Amino acid sequence: MTYCIIARCPRTGRLGLGVASYSFLIGMYCSDVTRANTGVSITLGAPNPGNNALAVRLLAQGFTPKQVLAQIIGNDVNSDYRQIGVMDREGNVAAHTGTMTRPWCGHLAGKGHVAMGDMLAGQHVLDAVAEGYAADPAAVLEERLLVALEAGRDAGGQVGKGRRLPERSAAIAVAGIFDYPDWDLRVDAHDEAVEELRRVHEEFKLYADYYVERARSPRNAKTQMEFADMVAADQPKEMPREMI
Amino acid sequence: MTYSIIARCPRTERLGIGTTTFSLACGRRNESVRPNVGISKSQAMYLRAHDPRALNLLAQGFTPRSVMSVVEANDDDFMYRQTGIIDREGNVVAHTGAKCGQWAGHTTGPYYAAFGNGLAGPQTVAGIIEGFLADAAAPLEDRLMSALEGGCKAGGQATNGIHRPERSAWLRVLDRQDYPEIDLRVDLHADTVAEMRRLLERFKLYRDYYRERCRNPHDALPEEDFVPQPAVA
Repeated sequence: MTYCIIARCPRTGRLGLGVASYSFLIGMYCSDVTRANTGVSITLGAPNPGNNALAVRLLAQGFTPKQVLAQIIGNDVNSDYRQIGVMDREGNVAAHTGTMTRPWCGHLAGKGHVAMGDMLAGQHVLDAVAEGYAADPAAVLEERLLVALEAGRDAGGQVGKGRRLPERSAAIAVAGIFDYPDWDLRVDAHDEAVEELRRVHEEFKLYADYYVERARSPRNAKTQMEFADMVAADQPKEMPREMI
Repeated sequence: MTYSIIARCPRTERLGIGTTTFSLACGRRNESVRPNVGISKSQAMYLRAHDPRALNLLAQGFTPRSVMSVVEANDDDFMYRQTGIIDREGNVVAHTGAKCGQWAGHTTGPYYAAFGNGLAGPQTVAGIIEGFLADAAAPLEDRLMSALEGGCKAGGQATNGIHRPERSAWLRVLDRQDYPEIDLRVDLHADTVAEMRRLLERFKLYRDYYRERCRNPHDALPEEDFVPQPAVA
C-alpha cells in the first residue's frame, strides 16, 4: 500500500526518493536512504528499515546495484514480502518485488530511476508515476519526484478490498553534494498527504535559499522574522495570517 | 528561534531529541543524530556541516566537551550558533553564542540538555525541563513530548516581545538499530506541538503492529484490517 520512485537527476547527479502510502508514517521507514555520491536504496512492501542502511553501505563499498540487491535478498528470510529498489550514483538500478507482496504490485526500472509499489489500482499507476517523473526533465529533482507522486495519486493510487485507500503519509528526500539531504520533507498522518506535501514543498521553497545563506553568513543575515514578513508581503493571499 | 531537548534514558540507554521551531521542516536535520554515537543539535543560525563533523569526532571517541572545543575553533561565526551535544553515555555539553538573539540560553542536567533561542525568556527552558522531569519513569518519547509541551506552555518563542508560533517539530528516539526507533515529524502546522502529541499517541497504537509487520510479515494482518486498540493501563 505504497508507491515510490527513486531517481537520479541526470543534470546534477543529485539522488532522491519520493514516496506516498496508506501507512501513516512511511517517512519513518525512509530515513537516510539517500547518500550523496553513493546511491539510494529503499525497502517497502513489509518495510525492513535495516535493509536501507546496509544497501547504501554496500553501494559505498563499490558493489553494483545488482549485487547489492542479491545481498539484501540473501540476508532477509522474509525477502518474499519485500519490495526493494537500489540505484547507484551513476543511475544504474536493480529492483525486486517479492512473490508475497500484495497485488497489484510491481516495479518499473529505467535508466536513472525505479518506480515501484504494492496494492496499487494497477500497472497504470506505476506508468503514471514514471510519466510524471519524465514530464519535465529540466525541473529540479525534488519537483520531479513530487510530480511523480501526484501523477500516481491521480491515476488511482492504492486500492484495498476494492476501495481506494487514501495516501496518509508522504515524503521526498534529495541528496546533493553534502553529507546531509538538500531537500527532505514529510507529511505524517494526514487525510490528503500528497496534497499536503505539495503545500509544505511550496512553502519550503520560499525559505530554502534563506536557510542556506543564513548559515553561511550569519553576520549579514536577516532574522527569520524579518524574512518571514517579506515572504508574507509577497504572498498576501496564499499565506493565512495565523501561519506568519 | 527554536527550542530543543536532547536526552538519554537512564533505564534503557536510548537517545532522543525533541525540537520545535518557527522554521519549516526542522525534522529534515537527519545529520544531527547518529545511532550508537550521539546527538549534536545546532540551531540559531546553524551551519548544517557542523553536526556531522561533531558526530564524526564523537564516533572517534572524543568527549562532547572536546568536540565542542574543536567545533568552536573551526567556526568563525560560533557566536551565532547554539549547540547541544550528548554522547551514548549521557555526557552532555551545550553552547549558546552571544549573538543567538534574545532570549537565548541552555541548561544541562544528568543526561539532558535543554536549549533555545528567540524564546519568551528563561521560563521556556525551565518549562522544558519541568516537563522532562515530571515523570522520570516514563518512556523517553513521552518525556521528550512533555518537555516540548512544557516549553510551549511556558511561553515558547518570542521576538521583539511578540509571541512566535511553532511551525515544525521533530521527535526522534534511537535504540540500538542503525535506523530510528521512533521518528515523528510535523513540517508545517498552525498548532505544531499539539499535532506532535496527536502523532505520538497515534504512533503508540501502531508501534507494535508496525514492528511486527517488518519482522514477521507472514503473520501480519493487512494494515487496512488492523484496528488499533488503546493500551490497557
